[in-house]
Amino acid sequence: MDPPLVNDSSFSAANPSSYTLSEIWPFPVNDAVRSGLRLAVNSGQAFTRPEHSGNKDVSAAEESTVTDLTAGWGSRKTRDLNSEDDSSKMVSSSSSGNELKESSDKKRKICGSESGNGDCSMRPEGETSSGGGGGGSKGTEQKNKPEPPKDYIHVRARRGQATDRHSLAERARREKISEKMTALQDIIPGCNKIIGKALVLDEIINYIQSLQRQVEFLSMKLEVVNSGASTGPTIGVFPSGDLGTLPIDVHRTIYEQQEANETRVSQPEWLHMQVDGNFNRTT
Amino acid sequence: MASANKTINTDVPAKDIFALHFLQSLSNLRIQNPLNSPEETTDRVKKIKMAAYISMARAAGGTNRLWSRALLRRASKENNKINRFSRRKRKVTWQISSERRGRRSSNRRAPVVEEVAERLRNFVPGGGGMETSKLMEETAHYIKCLSMQVKVMQCLVDGLSPK
Repeated sequence: MDPPLVNDSSFSAANPSSYTLSEIWPFPVNDAVRSGLRLAVNSGQAFTRPEHSGNKDVSAAEESTVTDLTAGWGSRKTRDLNSEDDSSKMVSSSSSGNELKESSDKKRKICGSESGNGDCSMRPEGETSSGGGGGGSKGTEQKNKPEPPKDYIHVRARRGQATDRHSLAERARREKISEKMTALQDIIPGCNKIIGKALVLDEIINYIQSLQRQVEFLSMKLEVVNSGASTGPTIGVFPSGDLGTLPIDVHRTIYEQQEANETRVSQPEWLHMQVDGNFNRTT
Repeated sequence: MASANKTINTDVPAKDIFALHFLQSLSNLRIQNPLNSPEETTDRVKKIKMAAYISMARAAGGTNRLWSRALLRRASKENNKINRFSRRKRKVTWQISSERRGRRSSNRRAPVVEEVAERLRNFVPGGGGMETSKLMEETAHYIKCLSMQVKVMQCLVDGLSPK
């Protein structure tokens, strides 16, 4: 629980950048989140919780936000399974140590966003502008995010991607669209092999068109059947249509007048059908 | 998970419901147009097609789905009957959606997907004002319903056609 002792042991562990990051910790909220990722890096060197607890006394407030956010991630983890960097999301909750390569990428990003500190010696190439610009906006965004937990869409910028909120929202939207597209692709037969969104959408359109044409063709066929069926012998095929044809055929109505008494049992149902059918037409 | 479920879990409406609706409207059509009516065949085909679409929309849950709602609305407009939905409310939503769409198109968009999605909008009823992800969802459901409809209609044709 003694922070300096732990930190010293960690600094001797041949990871000079971790020093800067543990200093980075108490600054903005989003970096508090990011240093949750740092924990995984350090867990490779067998210290995960000590740094965590060591930072606790540095800033208790940020600690609480981190736990909030990690809890949110834990619940959301199942939601974006196919999100781009899922494993980095569960870092802070699981603290398993195998995320070294991925979170080292993140680590450099933190350096980029915190380049104002001067502590960071390794400044990544394309990251300084976006990281520096996105620091403030992202901080406010993540403060806003836990309040509506339903609409909370977790987006994480990869290296070189912009981190302002518009870009994040756009990226989330695109991700959602592609997710839906894959679901659509599964529906349409033979669409799995097609690569490229435009081609897939073309295929979808073709499929819809063909289905609509099929419906048209079938309704043409049905028209023939339907107009012929009222005189033809296939009346009985209709479950309700045989009763529906009663008023058409004048001869039959007279002829079946006495028969109607037997069918009177089903008359209410038939009337109901009629009313229902008329309702169908009018609306 | 929830959103993914939603797309995959586009439950296909029961075939028998569609068949029931469709048969009802078919027999209804026959009642309304007696045998030697001067009506053109194309007109009757159109009516049958409309009946098929309406019954599909009804079987698909009526107004719960955007596309079915649009279909029903279109049908009602064609019938020149009173609309079931309040006019004002819908107008407002449409205005908002079209406005949002316009704004987005003016700003920035993923060109390929949006471009083709525009074409897709014409094929899915009511797709004009939809957001793209919503459009995909509705398209998935619409396709499922359409294929169901085709199957049922094929069965009807097979069963009803004189031997």
